Amino acid sequence: MVSTKTINTLGSLTGLRVLDLTRVWAGPLATRIYGDFGAEIIKISDPRVPLVSPNGLNSKLNRNKKNIGLRLDKPEGRNIFLELTAISDVIIENFRPRVMRNLNVTYETLAKINPHIIMCSMPGFGLEGPYSEYPAFGTTAEALAGIPGLIGYDSSLPISTGMAYGDPVSGLNAVGIILTALRHRNITGTGQLIDIALAASPVCNLGEFFAANSSNGFKPAINGNKSEYYSPHGAYRTKGEDRWIAISITGERSWKTFTSLVDDPILNSLDYCVLENRKKDEILIDSRISEWVAVQKAEEVMFQLQNNGIAAGVVSNNRQLLSDPHLNEREFFVDLEEPLFGLKQYDGQSIRGNFTNKSRWKTTEDVGESSKEVLMELLGYTINDCETLEKTGIVLFKNNA
Amino acid sequence: MDKSKQPLPLAGLKVIEVAQGVAGPHCGRMLGAFGADVIKIEPPSGDWSRHIGPFLGEDQNIESSAIYQYNNSGKKSVVLDLLVSKNISTLTDIVSEADVLIEDWDIPTRLLNGIEKDRFTKSDSSLIEISLTPFGLSGPYSHFTSTPIIQLALGGYLYLTGLPGKEPLMLPGHQPDYLTGLNGNGAVQIALWERDQTGAGQFVEVAMMETLTTLHQFTMEMETYEGFIRNRNGNLWQRESGFANYGITTIECRDGHVCFGISTEDQWERLCLMIGKGEFLKDSKYATRSARRSQATYLDSLLKEWVGERTRNDVMVEASEIWGLPTAPVLGISEVLEDEQFLHRGLFLEINHPITNKAYFPTFPFKTSGMVPDLSRSPLLGEHTSEVVGW
Repeated sequence: MVSTKTINTLGSLTGLRVLDLTRVWAGPLATRIYGDFGAEIIKISDPRVPLVSPNGLNSKLNRNKKNIGLRLDKPEGRNIFLELTAISDVIIENFRPRVMRNLNVTYETLAKINPHIIMCSMPGFGLEGPYSEYPAFGTTAEALAGIPGLIGYDSSLPISTGMAYGDPVSGLNAVGIILTALRHRNITGTGQLIDIALAASPVCNLGEFFAANSSNGFKPAINGNKSEYYSPHGAYRTKGEDRWIAISITGERSWKTFTSLVDDPILNSLDYCVLENRKKDEILIDSRISEWVAVQKAEEVMFQLQNNGIAAGVVSNNRQLLSDPHLNEREFFVDLEEPLFGLKQYDGQSIRGNFTNKSRWKTTEDVGESSKEVLMELLGYTINDCETLEKTGIVLFKNNA
Repeated sequence: MDKSKQPLPLAGLKVIEVAQGVAGPHCGRMLGAFGADVIKIEPPSGDWSRHIGPFLGEDQNIESSAIYQYNNSGKKSVVLDLLVSKNISTLTDIVSEADVLIEDWDIPTRLLNGIEKDRFTKSDSSLIEISLTPFGLSGPYSHFTSTPIIQLALGGYLYLTGLPGKEPLMLPGHQPDYLTGLNGNGAVQIALWERDQTGAGQFVEVAMMETLTTLHQFTMEMETYEGFIRNRNGNLWQRESGFANYGITTIECRDGHVCFGISTEDQWERLCLMIGKGEFLKDSKYATRSARRSQATYLDSLLKEWVGERTRNDVMVEASEIWGLPTAPVLGISEVLEDEQFLHRGLFLEINHPITNKAYFPTFPFKTSGMVPDLSRSPLLGEHTSEVVGW
């Protein structure tokens, strides 16, 4: 059957306009995904704070977005924001709740201007409730969610993820629920407010722990990488500086194959075909495995085990990840030419759908690079209007020619 | 109008889920909660997550798995053995009436079952097929087998958690799978937006390893912009890096641990004032981030002294309310269930199950003003087989 329906050549989200007030990680991650898929992202930045920095902090997450520098705290700047609200589909922000209140741009106000608007707020603890005005950070959010309490070599010291885990989980939740609300709007004609709590996001990635605890008091043992169901299970040090291989033996068959490859007289004991016996002697078994891998390269162990159907993977650091053969063969990364820093390699788009062609991806704009385009083409401002706004410092215009 | 009476936005959509474990089912759970009719195809032994713990109630059996119950809320369960070749045509019939197909067939599974990549989308141009696999359908790892720790290792997460020089530690539970499920839901929603406009469906591949690689906190930029390897550093985050500051740390207090997330200059200043060390603000030893980092052990001891006299709750309230500093207690599982803020949000919902009775499940991290998600119990194995395939 020949298909008569065709997808959008400019990306799945062509025609979707998003006002992006987000900063740091969770919010910009969500709008980056929309931008990759062809949505028009208008990022609103404070003209007093540059976005592009020599450490690339913001460049990773703000590609494919238009940037305008706008003082929301000035009445003329706020008016421009309201004019943009009237012609947009989505507003997304991740300030503390009082910031939007102080600027008098809460959902109630904005919905009067555009009742179809979907507004997504992503504060640390949510818009309401006892902690709602507390400041938050990805690391503190994950602590409240119970994550570091479940990580540790033993139960004496909880350990953070090391990467502010509340943020990416919140960002992915935003991507889905905003589009669900847009579908709701397309059916009912009304917009709505979405309130995502950074701290609640990791909780929903641990559903089984909470359900089991509420049902029968379940508490997992805090014991490094050990697993109740798989053994051996952990990371083992290999040849090279701080190089490790993760190995996960998932059942009797995988254990038998593993021992035939390692060929260690102790591991070959038939008793160890039973999970309980392996768990009992886990320390001894781990020490034999450590000895076996210590003289080998992590990549070699991985391919040897995987080619025999055993779950194993090298523990990649940032440098190894960037040169990973699998990701590179799949052309996952993208090289973008940064005006100030030259060609830089970034992670690509993990949703392999109809995103815009990577050859058209734009690097992160600094504050104000699209101010002129947005004001003149979308809002009908004249060049004289722009000059006045520039002089009064309400809008920052940056020449990107 | 009462929002609970409005139809949910995915009502009328039929979703077929041929996916086990966490990633595909978690994605299907979200679609079901917003109105889609989700039919889950299970092998005769059930989704593999039915066989692993933790379990609910007192017995460990295929109906009591917490992972299964959480991720399969509100679905219909149909048992269909896809290793029997005629059942593939039954599946084809079911899929022909569907809007969305969620599957987790990696290359080895596709070869085993004889399911080529475009089998369903070539005959139905409006079908959205979401493929959720560990490594994707091409490339040198596409035949690899994995568990969460392997995903975390190859996705660059594992290396970053734990103490320097010691074994890297995994995140709890099934994090790569949950992240991929959320990313998969994003993929479905994006494809639905497009289909609503053009009528066209599509095949969308989402790999766990790539999902993880896109969810790094500037990890790759530390190499590409500054040329250094990002290390794991316990609770002290990345002190060697230009990204770091003093004050992202976890410290023992009277009744457990508290976490600080001091990341801006003005927060550093308020931290000094809070612990009664206002003089640091004029001291060149603490003038820059790197200078503070070199004093980290001393600064830790001062903060420990201040924190040590207080409870987790005292620290959070005092640091947050008076000093505007991001802090939070490190909570245990039962404490999260009872946390005031989460209770206020109605984060947990009690759901009754015929075998395991009542348990509290997380709902969603978001609240929406115009939709009431529909979360109900997960199905028993094969509970809806006869209803769906007429056996």
